[in-house]
Amino acid sequence: MENGSGCLNGSGAADSAEKAQQQQQCPAVQLSERNCEAVRVIGQYLRELGLARSAEALVLEAGCPLESGAAAQFRSSVLLGDWDGAEASLASLRRALWRESSWSEIAFRLAEQRYLELLESGAHIAALCVLRGKLTPLQFSPDRLHRLSGLIMCSGPEELRQLSGWSGAAGGTRQALLDSVEQFFPPSVMLPPKRLSVLLDQAVRAQVSRCRHHNTSLSPDQLTLLADHSCQAAASVPSVCSQVLDAHQDEVHVCQFSPNGRFLATGGRDCVAIVWLVEAAANPPGAPRVRHHLTLRIGEERGGVAWLAWSPDSRLLLACAAEEATEVIVWEAETGDCIKKLKHRDEDSLTTAAWLPDSNHFVVGGNRGHFYLCSVDVGFEKAWDFIRVVALATRREDDGGTAVLAADTFARIRRYRFDTMQDETLFREDGPVMSMSISQDETLLAVCVASAGVHLWDLRLRVCRRRLHGLTHGAYLLHASIGGPNQDFVASGSHDARVCVWHRGCQAGDGAQQHLLPDKLSGHGGLVSCVSWNPRHHGMLASASDDCTVRIWLPASLAAAALAASADGTGPGGAGFSSNGCCSSTVSKHQPPPLL
Amino acid sequence: KSPGFNASYSMGRLHIEHMGGERVFSCANCDCPLTNRQQLISTRFTGATGRAFLFNRVVNLDTSELQDRVMLTGRHMVRDVSCRKCKTKLGWVYEFATEESQQYKEGKIILERALINESEGFPDPVKD
Repeated sequence: MENGSGCLNGSGAADSAEKAQQQQQCPAVQLSERNCEAVRVIGQYLRELGLARSAEALVLEAGCPLESGAAAQFRSSVLLGDWDGAEASLASLRRALWRESSWSEIAFRLAEQRYLELLESGAHIAALCVLRGKLTPLQFSPDRLHRLSGLIMCSGPEELRQLSGWSGAAGGTRQALLDSVEQFFPPSVMLPPKRLSVLLDQAVRAQVSRCRHHNTSLSPDQLTLLADHSCQAAASVPSVCSQVLDAHQDEVHVCQFSPNGRFLATGGRDCVAIVWLVEAAANPPGAPRVRHHLTLRIGEERGGVAWLAWSPDSRLLLACAAEEATEVIVWEAETGDCIKKLKHRDEDSLTTAAWLPDSNHFVVGGNRGHFYLCSVDVGFEKAWDFIRVVALATRREDDGGTAVLAADTFARIRRYRFDTMQDETLFREDGPVMSMSISQDETLLAVCVASAGVHLWDLRLRVCRRRLHGLTHGAYLLHASIGGPNQDFVASGSHDARVCVWHRGCQAGDGAQQHLLPDKLSGHGGLVSCVSWNPRHHGMLASASDDCTVRIWLPASLAAAALAASADGTGPGGAGFSSNGCCSSTVSKHQPPPLL
Repeated sequence: KSPGFNASYSMGRLHIEHMGGERVFSCANCDCPLTNRQQLISTRFTGATGRAFLFNRVVNLDTSELQDRVMLTGRHMVRDVSCRKCKTKLGWVYEFATEESQQYKEGKIILERALINESEGFPDPVKD
């Protein structure tokens, strides 16, 4: 028995040695070339993480060496500081280089590392030998050589490290040297550094570019690898109508959220501008609801409210009247006090306006041929003549001044500076411009072009970034709005009584056409003229329609919460609005069905 | 109906284009801009109310269904045009001329002189 067990032991030892040998000679699994590459890349990744034994075991079992023998030799020599050995391996690798001319650079770097390490350890004589015997003969980069020879004057390793920007032998510089050398050799000899990390990063970035409703501020290396990235539409894209506001007596033509997201102003043919308050419900948090705040009247001879503009500090509201509008009115939104009524000439038609950043100055204009710079304090200040203005916006410029962007009847979008009286044509559209809207960060301009769609222009690069199609055209004015945390979403009205929402950030890839078609929100009973995104509650959208209502749209997840809150009652001061949130909204097949 | 209601408006705010120009022609009834002197091709036409002008391009018009009309100059297929804002009939547009000598009119618009106003505009100051 003992003998038997002893024999077993003995044969066991012999067996395992044999097995090891066998494995080294013929691996257990036969791998295709692609699989072999994958193993090499994984092995490199493991080694970078510090799991050297796992990497070795992997190489052994798969039979795919990570790199050629000479390269492995070179690597270990460098890491151990065996400079002569490293030089020898490098010489044998010379033939494998992409370009023969990079040889001197590699040799220089190797010698440079040797030189710096010698200096650091205080062996100045040896360092000088390296300088003279190895670095100088290569005749590579005389500037660097000069700087290196200057370092010999350093009094100690600290000063050396500081002056040269080199972090020392122990500071990972040997690995950095290897990383920098890898690029000169083909992958069969040496793998490019961090190959698997690079591949994973590329994959995640590709997923992000295909994400249809990408709405997150996380960077690609924070996203999970375990599942393809795709932002949930339910959380970010409005799809459900949570409120129908029917306080208006006639068609509603304009709706605008204030820049701080607290107010909503709406106006239309009934010559009334209504200010609504946006309240984020306390329980559950984050479900915003709108309630009536003030009703402001403009004179009935004015044909209706044509445009509403909020001052950048969200304190003042400016209203322009329709066609025969000679006067604009400014109110304080909180109290409803009329701060200013501004009129300049009797034959004016002031149908569009925009505020300047100081919340005191504003520009107004129309298609009679003049637009004016005015202020709340002083009134009319300056005029620019002979331009028939269709839409206005303002933008801060690099030198601190503010440019006024005006779209005119010749389909041009031009830039005007009232302080320097300079003007310049920025873009030419290929069809008549109906309206224009600038994003909150002032980088993008959405231009509604009649019978064409919404064109997005980049104001820094001065190019057209996107042409958005899919809205229904007709004879009436439409307005668009840019919203979302990264200015990724564009919404506009449409003649078929639906609200169009696009996600512009999506790269055109496979299925490119699909990504550029809008999601359409149904519910209104008439033409939708104007839409507005809430700048603070991203995903909250208001739309104004000829059916005399304004609808509030929320992402499905928020809407469910908002409806639950409204089930308790209509809220205080609820004159003029109904919490009829249960309206159907047909959305495109790319979205999950609403939670109702 | 609400105070701002006007029977001439239908839905929404109409998108009204403006061609500019130094002499502007507009609808005599509602002053809606239509075209300018640069687009004028000929003044020697006759309409229902008397003199009529032939223009190259006119904006803010609605067109009727296609009609077969025999005129002094021959048989033409035309559509009546009216002001988009106030719906007043202003003239017609030639769509097809049966006689070769009349084909130059195709696509051009006739506006009756009595139904339009001419007013002072201004030149475009932009030079580029």
